[in-house]
Amino acid sequence: MSSLLAIEWLKLKRYNTFWILICFFIVLLPLWNYCILSGGINVSGNGMKLINQTYSFPGVWGNIGFWGSLFVVLLSILIIILTANEFTFRTHRQNVIDGWSRLQFFHAKILLVFAFSVAATVYVFILGAIFGYANSGSFSSMFEGVEKVFYFFLFSLNYLGFALLASIVIRRSGLSIGMFLLYIFIIKNILKGVLNFTNNDWNVGNYLPLQSCSELLPFPLFEMLKGLMKQGPQPTTAYVLASIAWAIIYYFAGRGILLKRDW
Amino acid sequence: MEPVLSVQNLSKNYGLVQALKNVSFNVPAGSVFGILGPNGSGKTTLLGIILDIIVPLGGQYSWFGGMDAVAARRQIGSLLETPNFYHYMSAFDNLAISAAIKQRGADDRIAVLEKTGLLQRKDSKFQTYSLGMKQRLAIAGTLLGGSRVLVFDEPTNGLDPAGITEIRELIRKLNSEGTTIIMASHLLDEVEKVCTHVAILKQGKLLVDGPVADVLRSDDLLEVKAADMAGLHNILQSMNGIKNIQAVSDLLLLKCETEIKASDINRYCMDKGIVLTHLVLKKKSLETRFMELTN
Repeated sequence: MSSLLAIEWLKLKRYNTFWILICFFIVLLPLWNYCILSGGINVSGNGMKLINQTYSFPGVWGNIGFWGSLFVVLLSILIIILTANEFTFRTHRQNVIDGWSRLQFFHAKILLVFAFSVAATVYVFILGAIFGYANSGSFSSMFEGVEKVFYFFLFSLNYLGFALLASIVIRRSGLSIGMFLLYIFIIKNILKGVLNFTNNDWNVGNYLPLQSCSELLPFPLFEMLKGLMKQGPQPTTAYVLASIAWAIIYYFAGRGILLKRDW
Repeated sequence: MEPVLSVQNLSKNYGLVQALKNVSFNVPAGSVFGILGPNGSGKTTLLGIILDIIVPLGGQYSWFGGMDAVAARRQIGSLLETPNFYHYMSAFDNLAISAAIKQRGADDRIAVLEKTGLLQRKDSKFQTYSLGMKQRLAIAGTLLGGSRVLVFDEPTNGLDPAGITEIRELIRKLNSEGTTIIMASHLLDEVEKVCTHVAILKQGKLLVDGPVADVLRSDDLLEVKAADMAGLHNILQSMNGIKNIQAVSDLLLLKCETEIKASDINRYCMDKGIVLTHLVLKKKSLETRFMELTN
């Protein structure tokens, strides 16, 4: 296991694209949150600041989790580039020729997905703790609502796992990124709308790939409005289970394809 | 001795095209085994299957008498079709990845780069290499960790004449040190020059395999001419060891047993009172033999 990850690291450490995208993630996420907090970026109605209220504990977790989830798209694109590169330069073949099994090649990429997810989650946790402390003045209620950080981990796992699967199926970097963005920004929302409209009682659309995990980290403002509108509680456990189920499906789909296909 | 590689009934289809049809053969240890065939005859498909890059439709293969295929590949150095490396990394760093996957130390990187003449460019990025240099790097990669077997697909592709000679020398040297070499080639001349064994593929079918001397052996032909052609024909008909006499324009073409030499013919005719004005030993060219086999 650790040797697979060590070899992935050899591939990563000389790759400029990797460092650039990681730097964007590390720098932009706190900067973005800081701008929202300070009112530099705002959604305002009648002069009322609506989204900068929640940087103290416990609200900070949901807030930073949501904004963090947007930046996970950056990491998803990185996963696609890294995987599609292997196919483009046929280094996936070389890895197997040199003595990896096909499964080891796949697991090395899966481990990368986990490593990115864990690292991003830890980073979000640290940022949340700092922002929360700065705005609450103490750590006393820090662990209230901290499950949102776990939801962020599930979110990353779903997005990165889906991105890995997409690049294994499509193999080409540009097309994979295009299809991935098209799905998460357009197709997923159309499908969700249609499914939820026709199955109003069940909200089936909320369980689509990459949607169940998004339901766990809703836009903080919507959550506030839903509270005002006295909507029933969200089926959080169901979303967690659905997200885990999807992650497992991505794993087995990718594995099945790589084991059966010519390389 | 146990064969290094045993291939049984391998088949592969690409859509409706049958790329391999029930191919079976053994590669003896210590041989230079050439897989010879025209373009599109299934050579690369065959090598792809034995390296687990391509999934066969049917059949099996086994390395080193049934060793686990993944463990076996770590003892095999392979170059398949094109050199595959991370374009943004130096030769040195690229070889570190291969060495790590092979579970060998990265210590002999310098040695293999030196053997392939790339030591001075070891820190240049792969994408700055010329085609020939990429090919050399791929060959350097196959030498990492002292492989027991080398699998080469068109190893001299893209190399200049000096490079081709160097690689052939390298193959001979490695083979003399005990490394078994399996190489696909469409170049007859290459196979004849370096291989001890050969398998000939055509449209996915194995036509023949065995030691080069047997497979590519052909009867020698002798051309003879004398002033008295009728008399010459006459006496040769009664000579032992001549299998066939054919009159072609103004000379006779003789097919002889292998122990009959040109000098024997000359002496025989002299003794019978006929002086030869023309005596030439014609080796049948390898190309002719190859065309015979593949047509």
